[in-house]
Amino acid sequence: MRPSAFDYHKASTLDQALALLAEFGDDGRPLAGGQSLVPMMNLRLARPRHLVDINALPLDAIEIRGDALHIGALVRHERYFTDPLIAEHFPAFLEAVHWIGHPTIRRHGTMGGSVSHADPTAELPSVCVLHDALIVAASASGERRIPATEFFLNAYVTALEPGEMVTAVEFPLPSGPTSGAFMELGERVGDFAIAGIGVVLGHDGNTITSARIVCSGARLVPVRSADVEAFLVGRTLADPGAQEAGRIFSAAIDPVGDHAASAAYRKGLIKELTRRCIAHAAGKASA
Amino acid sequence: MKAENPRQIGARVQRFEDTRLLSGAARYIDDIRLPNTLHLSFVRAQVAHGRILEIDTFGLEDIGYPTWVFTGEDIGNLSMKAHQDYPEMQYSEQPLLARDVVRFVGEPVAAVLAEDPYRAEDAAELVFVDYDPLPVVGTMDQARDASIPPIFEGWKNSMFVERQMKGGDLEAARAQAAHVIRRTYRNQRQAGVPMECRGVVAHYTPGDRMLTVWSSTQMPHLVRTYIAEELDLPEARIRVIAPDVGGGFGIKGQVFGEEVLVAWLAIKTGRPVKWIEDRREHLVASLHARDHEHTLEAYVSDDGRLLGLWADISVDVGAYSTFPFTAAGDPGMAAKVMPGPYDFQAYEATFRGFATNKCPIGTYRGVARPSAVFSQERLMDDIAREIGMDPIAFRLRNVIREFPYKNVLGFTYDPGSYAESLEKIRDVLADDIAAAEASKSSATTRTGVGIACFVEQTAHGTPDFTRRRVPIETGYISARVEMQPDGTVVIGLGLQSHGQGLETTMAQVAADALGVLPETIFVRHGDTLTSPYSMGTWGSRGGPLGGGAVHMASMQIAEKLKVLAAHEMQADKDAITLYGGRAYVTDNPDRFVEIRTLARHALRNVENLPEGMIPGLEAEFSLDGPRDGTYANAVHAAVVEIDVPTGKMKLKRFVVVEDCGTILNPLVVDGQVRGGVVQGIGSALFEHFVYDAECQPLTTSFADYLMPQAPEIPDIEVHHIETPTPLTPLGAKGLGEGGAIGPAAAIANAVSNALDVEVSETPLKASAIWHLSAHLRGEA
Repeated sequence: MRPSAFDYHKASTLDQALALLAEFGDDGRPLAGGQSLVPMMNLRLARPRHLVDINALPLDAIEIRGDALHIGALVRHERYFTDPLIAEHFPAFLEAVHWIGHPTIRRHGTMGGSVSHADPTAELPSVCVLHDALIVAASASGERRIPATEFFLNAYVTALEPGEMVTAVEFPLPSGPTSGAFMELGERVGDFAIAGIGVVLGHDGNTITSARIVCSGARLVPVRSADVEAFLVGRTLADPGAQEAGRIFSAAIDPVGDHAASAAYRKGLIKELTRRCIAHAAGKASA
Repeated sequence: MKAENPRQIGARVQRFEDTRLLSGAARYIDDIRLPNTLHLSFVRAQVAHGRILEIDTFGLEDIGYPTWVFTGEDIGNLSMKAHQDYPEMQYSEQPLLARDVVRFVGEPVAAVLAEDPYRAEDAAELVFVDYDPLPVVGTMDQARDASIPPIFEGWKNSMFVERQMKGGDLEAARAQAAHVIRRTYRNQRQAGVPMECRGVVAHYTPGDRMLTVWSSTQMPHLVRTYIAEELDLPEARIRVIAPDVGGGFGIKGQVFGEEVLVAWLAIKTGRPVKWIEDRREHLVASLHARDHEHTLEAYVSDDGRLLGLWADISVDVGAYSTFPFTAAGDPGMAAKVMPGPYDFQAYEATFRGFATNKCPIGTYRGVARPSAVFSQERLMDDIAREIGMDPIAFRLRNVIREFPYKNVLGFTYDPGSYAESLEKIRDVLADDIAAAEASKSSATTRTGVGIACFVEQTAHGTPDFTRRRVPIETGYISARVEMQPDGTVVIGLGLQSHGQGLETTMAQVAADALGVLPETIFVRHGDTLTSPYSMGTWGSRGGPLGGGAVHMASMQIAEKLKVLAAHEMQADKDAITLYGGRAYVTDNPDRFVEIRTLARHALRNVENLPEGMIPGLEAEFSLDGPRDGTYANAVHAAVVEIDVPTGKMKLKRFVVVEDCGTILNPLVVDGQVRGGVVQGIGSALFEHFVYDAECQPLTTSFADYLMPQAPEIPDIEVHHIETPTPLTPLGAKGLGEGGAIGPAAAIANAVSNALDVEVSETPLKASAIWHLSAHLRGEA
């Protein structure tokens, strides 16, 4: 469990990092918190010939830019706990952070690293899909914004091209009052989720005016459900139909079954967590 | 005023070794760094069963740095052999590097050496092995299938061994029974997971013709003997050292092929050779445990008395028999201990070990007893449920109360506290039992209480091993105690301490006998050059037998000190008391002589010794265990809360009532119990080594192989009852494994109680709990 040989490069500017990544192409990987990449290198599941350390780059802002919350690629997970903008605008996001790994992982792990790694059970990719976030990808030839729903292609596979790296994620600010919740279940505290559900409810008074729901862990990428979202819109916070929503979401997903959890169990969990998550979000909004 | 010796035995002495272990001053196997070392990386089998067609090392020719490669062709017939001397036993032999055939994923195929561990690993990747696949025996069902060839040529079936144990008249019990209850129970395959993986360093020095082997082992003397026999070297010229060992749990209580191979490579290359096992190697190819399936049939009278028990015990032992406890170790142990703490006199067990294309099974804390107790104690609950009795009352009706008790297989149990322990746990749990009953009205949140009552045969003596005809052969432990001229003491201990706290407890024992402070005693262990020959540390015997040996040797020195003190103070020897570093005249404590003065006289200024006294203060004692051992007992209890809609279970409470006879150090006892319980919780809830249908391992890192972690572990309450045994010098019984034996049964019983459903297997992951509770969700 020792990595194969690699060269280490410390980038001091974004341009320098992008130039190095352009030069190395498929053989290069940016190194941020290293919480997934380094173990994978030790297991020789990842064998980059060149690591470009981006930790010195100024990519750690959490700030409102225009009508979106900009989160830099190097923002460490633990910062969300205390950031007022997250608490104010993205309650489901804030709840999701509690489920990310362990304190050490939250101290080192980054937004850019988590979305680039694209673990199907991870919280932040799911949070990005839930909020229709845009992934900002930069390369030596420029910058592009990729909708989260198009960014995650498969387990551990993203739309990033060789030479490209994530520099930020932009979360559109909600236009009216919203509530949100995120719940997941793992075998132990901090484990990969067997299934996780996130929900965001926009409301006008007691009426639900918009709804978004996402499921992680069940498929190879985070899954939204237009049926559940349509079902919820127009219902009330007092009676959001959480149980029926759970039934719909569960029926619509054909989850993976493996030695850790059966497909039937994942289906059952989706149903129950959807119910609880909607009830919790609706409850918070009407409180 | 009388001089009385304040007892160290039983005192809450903080562990002396912790200063070293907690401050980073410990030296583990990877800290052994010798100049000019070659680092070993293994090429390991990637198929579960295949014939080796070709080993291609072409890629190493232009690698740019020196490498050395050895394969099965190079090592002659060196192998691991672990046979039981029974005609029914079918023999397996594991070459140190596979020759011709590989039989499990991870089996060593080639040894690649380089001057840097990274380069060794890079080089090993460039060795390609071509296999002709052979049919896989992947499960016990496949091993039973006569149409699938056994994994060894010439075997008549896929069993290492199948034998029986019986006692009493089972037919009569069956005829008298009002209830016949038959169930099948299973425990999953696990890896044993010490925090430190294994590792071996070997160095041969031609000047003194000495082979020195450092190994992260629990049994340095047996490693030495095996290496000497296999490599045909004089044992006097081999020194095996176990440095600080970061946990063993029985996994390191075997002799491994790597230990012999690294020694051979050091001689062959003339350079130090080092192999440090990584976590993936450890999980995949070190040693596995459990993987039991038991079918039991109990015969019960209409007033709830157990009349007899029939058992069919199968264990998936994996690909090879391991040394020294063999492929029959787990199945035989399960059959032997299945009668447990209950009074019945008719029993018949058939036990077998199947050979499959999986990592070999060996001893892991509890050794078959966690599985036997799981089955036995699940069965007790299932019987109680079926005949409508309270599970604790049912056990109290059947538990052994009079001692000594000769059990159905002829083993004699020394005094214990089985009924008292059950009564104690019933008192401790009264509120939880009531709350569990009240939760029965809920379809969403259920609580349950489960217990497991068991005995553990510990410190068994040589006859127990000769009966089993295993290569361990003997069961004594030796200690040599030497007082120095300044009155300080060195103990050469045949045990090896890898977390047991022996550097403290053994010092406490000697301190009591010698009347000195335990801090002045240096306990050396784990080095064949400084310790008398012994079997190492395993089998819950360090306290009773190691402590007993230290006590007996120390008493010989104490006797000599008293004679010397009596001579110097012109008092009667029997009127001398040793304590606090002085020898007092018991009835007149104003008269004393310092023990260090006596030591100086005995070792340096010997001209004033009494007539005929031989200089020196040194004694050695070898203590064998009692014929049937001494039986520790315990009751474990779990309280669980289950969220029925999600299957999420919380372990709310875990209580242990244990009786290990005389307690040498309560802090150490509590630590041993708690550590064992945590491992038992791992067995019950999380740890599962999974193979696919082709016997490819699926749980090869801690991402998939789940260990219990702090948030999942409740505060573990430990209550003690002390019933000293007359069979060991200090009254101590073995304790090291007990903590791991009860939890799977107690937790499964708690789940059964909570959900009102029978639980037949572990691990009880969330998915399993959810499926078990389907009826409460109206889904079944």
